[in-house]
Amino acid sequence: MLGVENLSVAYGKVNVIKGVSFELRPSLVALIGPNGSGKTTLLKAIAGMVPYSGEVLIDGINLRRIRVDRRTEYVTYVPPTISALPDMTIGDLLLSDSSADVALLERYVRIFGVERLLFRRIWEVSSGELERALLARGLARRSKVLLVDEPLSYTDVRYQLVVMRCLRRLANEGRVVVVASNQLNPLLNYVDRVLALKDGKLFINAPLKTGVDEDKLSELYGVKMKVITIDNIVDVVPVEEARG
Amino acid sequence: MVLLIALLILALSFMAQLAFGAVMLNPLQVLRDGLREIFTATTGIARYRLERALAGVVVGASLALSGYLIQTTTRNPLGDPYLLGISSGALFAVVLTFALPASAITLFVVRPFAALIGGIIAYLLTLLIASKAGMTPTSIVLSGVAVGTFFYSASLFPQYFILRDIHKVFAWSMGSLVVVNLNKPIAIALVLTACTIYSCVSRNVLNALSISDDFVRDLGRDPSRERVILTAMAAVLASFCVAYFGVIGFVGLASPHFARRLLGSGDARYIIPLSLVFGASMLSLTDVVAKIVFYPIEVPVNVIVSLVGAPTLAAIMVGMRRHARG
Repeated sequence: MLGVENLSVAYGKVNVIKGVSFELRPSLVALIGPNGSGKTTLLKAIAGMVPYSGEVLIDGINLRRIRVDRRTEYVTYVPPTISALPDMTIGDLLLSDSSADVALLERYVRIFGVERLLFRRIWEVSSGELERALLARGLARRSKVLLVDEPLSYTDVRYQLVVMRCLRRLANEGRVVVVASNQLNPLLNYVDRVLALKDGKLFINAPLKTGVDEDKLSELYGVKMKVITIDNIVDVVPVEEARG
Repeated sequence: MVLLIALLILALSFMAQLAFGAVMLNPLQVLRDGLREIFTATTGIARYRLERALAGVVVGASLALSGYLIQTTTRNPLGDPYLLGISSGALFAVVLTFALPASAITLFVVRPFAALIGGIIAYLLTLLIASKAGMTPTSIVLSGVAVGTFFYSASLFPQYFILRDIHKVFAWSMGSLVVVNLNKPIAIALVLTACTIYSCVSRNVLNALSISDDFVRDLGRDPSRERVILTAMAAVLASFCVAYFGVIGFVGLASPHFARRLLGSGDARYIIPLSLVFGASMLSLTDVVAKIVFYPIEVPVNVIVSLVGAPTLAAIMVGMRRHARG
């Protein structure tokens, strides 16, 4: 269980998250919203990586009461990218995590096709490959809450499905998995619930069926959105207003 | 394996340090005599050579560790021990000491002490500015450059007005391992040991810092705080080296790069020991060159270390790149 109560985050005088509250059972949750709406900040606050006001509860335990060196047992934030010192290799990246379960790490390295990249320098691999390595690293912990930031932006279609299937399985095993992304397909075809942020406030918090609403999504993104279903695969596409 | 070869090179360069000089001597003989002279508190050529050789090892290793820490905390491959304004702060302080009457105390006590304090003040100033700007890698680099430039320019004023001493300032800023007594290498060795132990203990933090601040937060540490501690160690190491031996460049910049290139990894567990050994070897070897290249005149080691080191670094970078392409 992940409980967030009246969470706010400010960077200097700019309020990025403005009093967000929600509660999530073990499930796979989509976190969507326009650029700059506060998705990354919300995830980092839940992971205790940025100062926040309000409370974060994981299985009823207040995040502030969890010893920092044991925090990864409770929550992991998987960043979308990094700015490493050149000459660090993908292998260095994966092994820099002492809280990882090595057997599990090896499994995810195989699943995400990272094994042939281990001796490559970080700046020599593509953005998608780096993203997969970061995922393997993050998933190799047994955190109760998994916060995955933009795992679908650089990965190709095949790995997008691999990633979503993996996250789906983790949610089925009893983890709370939150995925921040705007790649609505495949995202919405795997999740149980949709959270949407707009200007730092919770705009949608609903199960998938009611969450994917054309009017709400159009208002969220500020363009007309249309939900289409082909062979039970849901996609949400922007519709250009008729010109002329 | 690489570490073993590096240690062998270090041993050889140490022996060469003992062997070469104004006269060629048997290095083992020098080692034996030098130790005897130290323990019997007598002074002779063997003791002088041994002390100078030891100085080369500890200063080289200290600069290498300092450079590694700066590169890692600022995530900047151009990082070197003087990136935080330390050398300019020390230079400014040293220039001020030329206003004092030239006595043995000024030369051997006040000047090194002033350099040490000047270096540390420059570092603290850099830290103060960087902390106001968020203590990010970029803020550290930029405030270091600002402080360094300021102190360098400030040191030019007194130099301009006390022209008769300008060659002394110049000689000091060249950096050299001559004028040694055993206290200096021992003092640096103590600081170096403490910093090395702390760095090895914090290897996870160092690895995380060299990848992303998020990874440091993952470990439950505050990246800004870690940056303060680690840059402080780098600053103290570099300040001690500058205070006793002047500004010796390049070793701090290049040693971690040599280590990373040859290992094909950036893992702190291997890079720290290897950088230390490389730094020590590099400075020892180039000091040998400095002693014999214009024999019998000795050149400041700082001149040689860059002249020899820079092409070597370039060659390694080009060579590894070709190797990586297959």
